[in-house]
Amino acid sequence: MSRKKSVAGSRWSTLTRIARYSAFRLAALIFTAATGVFLTIIIANMGGHLDDIRKARIEDEATQQMMMDPETQMMPDTDRREIIEQMVQTEIRRQGLDRPFWQRLPGDLWSAVRLDLGRARDMTSPSHSREVSRIIIEHLPATLLLFATANFMVFFAALGLALILSRRYGSLADRAVIAMAPSSAAPGWFYGIFLILIFAYLVPDWMRLPDGGMVGDRVPEGTLAYAGTVLKHMILPVGAMFLSAIFISIYKWRTFFLIHSSEDYVEMAKAKGLSSRAIERRYILRPTLPPIVTSFALMLIALWSGAIILERVFNWPGLGTALYSAIQHQETNVIVGLVVVFAYLLAVTVFLLDIVYALLDPRVKLGEGGGRQ
Amino acid sequence: MVIASLFGSAVGINRRRTLIPLVVAAALGLFLAFRLIGGGEAPPVVPDIETTGETDAETADPEAEKRLAVEAGRQRGSLVDSIVFVRESEYGRAISRLKAGTMHIMGDGRSDPEMYRRIQNSPKLGSEISYGSYGALSFNPVGPTFPTTGKLNPFSVPKIREAMNRLIDREHIAQEIFGGLAVPRYFPISSVFPDYARLADVARTLELRYEHDPAAAEATIAREMEKLGAQRIEGHWMYEGEQVEVILLIRVEDARREVGDYVANLLEGIGFQVTRLYRTAQEATRIWMSSHPREGRWHAYTASWISVIISRDQASNFGVFYTPRGRAAPLWQAYEPSPEFDELADRLQRRDFTSWEERQEMMARALELSMKESYHVWLTDQINVWPKAHNVQVAADLAGGMTGSILLPYTVRIGEELGGRLVFGATNVLAEPWNPVDGSNWIFDTMIMRATSDRSALGDPHTGLYHPQRIESAEVTVAEGTPVIQTLDWVTLDSQPEIEVPLDTWIDWDPEERRFITVAEKHPEGLTARTRTRIHFTDDYLETLWHDGSRVSLADMVLSQILTFDRAKPESPLYDEGFVPMFRTFQTYYRGFRIVSRDPVVVESYSDRFFPDAEWIAAIAAPWPGVSDGSGIMGWHSTSLGIRAEEQRLLAFSSNKADQLRTEWMSYVTGPSLEVLAKMLEEAREESYLPFEETLREFVSEEEIEERYSNLADWYEARGHFWVCNGPFYLHALHPIEGHVEIRRFERFADPADKWLGFTRPRIPEVVTDGPGIVHAGEEASFEISITFEGAPYPEEELEMVRYMLFDGRRELIKQGDAVPGDDGRWRVELSSEETEKLRPGSNLLEIAATSTSVALPAFDRISFATIPEVDR
Repeated sequence: MSRKKSVAGSRWSTLTRIARYSAFRLAALIFTAATGVFLTIIIANMGGHLDDIRKARIEDEATQQMMMDPETQMMPDTDRREIIEQMVQTEIRRQGLDRPFWQRLPGDLWSAVRLDLGRARDMTSPSHSREVSRIIIEHLPATLLLFATANFMVFFAALGLALILSRRYGSLADRAVIAMAPSSAAPGWFYGIFLILIFAYLVPDWMRLPDGGMVGDRVPEGTLAYAGTVLKHMILPVGAMFLSAIFISIYKWRTFFLIHSSEDYVEMAKAKGLSSRAIERRYILRPTLPPIVTSFALMLIALWSGAIILERVFNWPGLGTALYSAIQHQETNVIVGLVVVFAYLLAVTVFLLDIVYALLDPRVKLGEGGGRQ
Repeated sequence: MVIASLFGSAVGINRRRTLIPLVVAAALGLFLAFRLIGGGEAPPVVPDIETTGETDAETADPEAEKRLAVEAGRQRGSLVDSIVFVRESEYGRAISRLKAGTMHIMGDGRSDPEMYRRIQNSPKLGSEISYGSYGALSFNPVGPTFPTTGKLNPFSVPKIREAMNRLIDREHIAQEIFGGLAVPRYFPISSVFPDYARLADVARTLELRYEHDPAAAEATIAREMEKLGAQRIEGHWMYEGEQVEVILLIRVEDARREVGDYVANLLEGIGFQVTRLYRTAQEATRIWMSSHPREGRWHAYTASWISVIISRDQASNFGVFYTPRGRAAPLWQAYEPSPEFDELADRLQRRDFTSWEERQEMMARALELSMKESYHVWLTDQINVWPKAHNVQVAADLAGGMTGSILLPYTVRIGEELGGRLVFGATNVLAEPWNPVDGSNWIFDTMIMRATSDRSALGDPHTGLYHPQRIESAEVTVAEGTPVIQTLDWVTLDSQPEIEVPLDTWIDWDPEERRFITVAEKHPEGLTARTRTRIHFTDDYLETLWHDGSRVSLADMVLSQILTFDRAKPESPLYDEGFVPMFRTFQTYYRGFRIVSRDPVVVESYSDRFFPDAEWIAAIAAPWPGVSDGSGIMGWHSTSLGIRAEEQRLLAFSSNKADQLRTEWMSYVTGPSLEVLAKMLEEAREESYLPFEETLREFVSEEEIEERYSNLADWYEARGHFWVCNGPFYLHALHPIEGHVEIRRFERFADPADKWLGFTRPRIPEVVTDGPGIVHAGEEASFEISITFEGAPYPEEELEMVRYMLFDGRRELIKQGDAVPGDDGRWRVELSSEETEKLRPGSNLLEIAATSTSVALPAFDRISFATIPEVDR
């Protein structure tokens, strides 16, 4: 009875410890995310100076509109200026600039933290919505499609090839990969430009691939045909990302596996005469699983961010393009919205990873008295 | 080699040896990348660029053109079968796509000499050119010292500003910095628009007076600086013990960076200490526009302006650019023009003159005074190059280029063939919601909207004058003393001592009773107007169709009139605060609208506003179903869905109201709006809904309501959008995420496809003058002028004016007059013995200016000759 009580007490204590740890960790993560969002709002608004720029632009646009309108040319000046002033004030109210930035800041931060992303000032989503959430959601599939394809390919190909190379340390293939690893210093868009040049313009017609966009100038009616067109348009950007990342990824994992292959317990397993496959599975892959999972999870988050230049080079209508447009037009709500989503995703992933680590690695415990041992 | 070296690196071979191929590979890569994205060599001077607006189209084949005209006469709507608009944000890649044949037109005009060279060097490419953007050096006029800093501001002195005109070499800027893609500009009026041509003699005289003369400029500046109390010590201007500093605010996004550096070098060369502030648009705006000029944060700024239409009346520019009335910004409030100039600018802006001759005299004087004030030293009119495939023909607008051409949908074709599918690259596609009342005004959106919408009159892309589309004729009557001219024969012009507005004319709107208020109710004492325009629509106007097959009716037109008022009335559910300023503008001149006949449709419009051209008065006065010029033109049944949705606060026509209601900005083509509009259609069909029924009922039958909604429902089911207009194209399909819009030829369009074929190429006269190199004083002299277009004589009746101006060696205008027409496009200038006798010995200049009724751009030529005194013979 007392043993049962003791076990129940121990479980309760573990649960309490985990709950306390989780609450503390969540609070810390939310605080970190909120701080990031706060800083983003400040930076995106140039510490409030953006208001002055916007107001100047509003006035400029209203004046230009009146100046260019032939219908207003004969109007008395006082009337014209009064009308311009009315236009300016209406627009200032619409953009919420009638309240100083520092007064708006707490409300903006609170909305962002609650994931109420609000409305863009001028930007609209592809389906013509002003809601920031829609702007993000509508650009997301294109980004996910492209980046998920490329990153999954890179991730799994790199893991597989790294394992193989770790077994063939010093071979020609191993040396080739090492030699090619510095090529990853160049970003995907850099390779993209070459791939476009070669495969969209220099090769014979039958080999040519689209130089950008998601579809060509003819959008196929059927789903399968549409998918085929999109796939064809993905070849070059995915290829560019793959080329840019694959060698360094293989190199990284191969080195990682090599280090783990020389651990004492692996040597012990070898001495015991275990098969190389069993050694690989039980003594190399299993202990390296947490970093692999971390890397995978962080890759999943990275998919959300898109890539401004790569999407611009390939005319790809994803989040990178949306972010570029938002920066160009100083759409702070969209910039902040993207950062908020990214910050929350990162926070949730980090939180989940803590739990996943504990599940995967028996040496890891959560909360006080836990920790890596 | 590279690969081997990399392998070497991996196995530990000498790293320095491996670095070299890596660097070479990277350099090669960067070079190729740069070439692909369009960079590369330093901007060259474009050889032999035509600065007269001539297009770089494939050589015309007259036989093929005739064949096309015959075939096009049998086809309705457009010349091509469809146009596909695709999003293309990279100019360099667009050029590559045009070369590869996967695109036909790029809707982006740029002053980029390198790109222009690429276009010229490729047999697969062609281009159109446009004017419209122009650069200036704008000055801070506060002074002589800035109250805030106490520092000297040389540009507070008008004579120093004026001298800057001579210090700066505009030709250098046009040729060396813009690589030939610009022409010198001296005045607030564009050198490529009609006003300049009309004032060519005055303009040329002034241009010669202010031509590049750095020595004279420096002398004037030195004289004025000394008057200010500054001293030149060892080549540096000193004031109160400090070197005189000039802060030059230089924009960095375009060629203005080089222009700024050039001006800075000039100022440094004459002894000023120049601080160069390189700033982007938004950074610069905070300094030159938002800060007060008294703060002295800048002295001069590299400004740039744009005009997207051919402005036929630029008289208001003096008031806009030189007086505090131009803008509310602090800089403008610092302008203190001379009383004479101020009054002239004001009168020109208000069109306070009684005859055309008086206006021209005022303009001439204003030009002269603007040079004296020189708050802005105008530098260049830039030339934008719009790339296209070599075989594409299109009527591009001389100011707005491809995207601004209202005739693009009516004239664009591939070769001299009918049909085909044309791919048009646009920087953005579907940027903002499309709706018939207050939708997107992005140029790339309005361009497509225009292609799907027909209008009562269409602007000539080469002259800016309007030509009738659904109008048979127009009678314009103006009050006596209103200076208006008429050029085209579809308009008649007369004047009356007083124009009374009939009592049954609609002048206002009652939003509660939903009916028009007549002049009799609002102005029982009677009302007069400055212009009356009677518009006769074509006999078959009511036979024309909307894209869904519905027949046009008078109700379409009346609804647009209602919306013009209703949206500005606070009692209306459609009230839109953002619309009120525009309505107030409208109210200042609007004097009523009246339906004279219902079939054929004849209407009268009364106004206190007028334009110098009767064609403009008629075109602007003509009522039309569209509410806004930039939006789509729709019938009452399509617009009614939006009205209903806004009344129920589910959607809003304008961006402003959508934000106020926290709802979606209405889109007739995509997104969440479609679901709402579809629901509105369902309800409207069930209820036989007619918006503003109290007024529209007399124009619409029950059958028409049923038929129109039925047509619209069929359309929506087939196409998935509500964009039902009346243009030569209809909206076939759109893919917003992919940035793809396809419009197709509307086969039931009212007009044959050849209607606007004749407007494809701007008929800019080519002028060549020939004559003696030496003229003996006291002897007659004769000069031959050849005026042609594409090698053929330019028809005399098409030429508005062929004027000559004779300048002596001091660049003083000695004589001007009109050339005498001869045969085959030849004109003659005869100088009598008395006239040549007056010329001093030395070099003289004979300038020829030719203007045509077919194109706004004037053509110039000049010939120099020497005068030898009689005694030297």
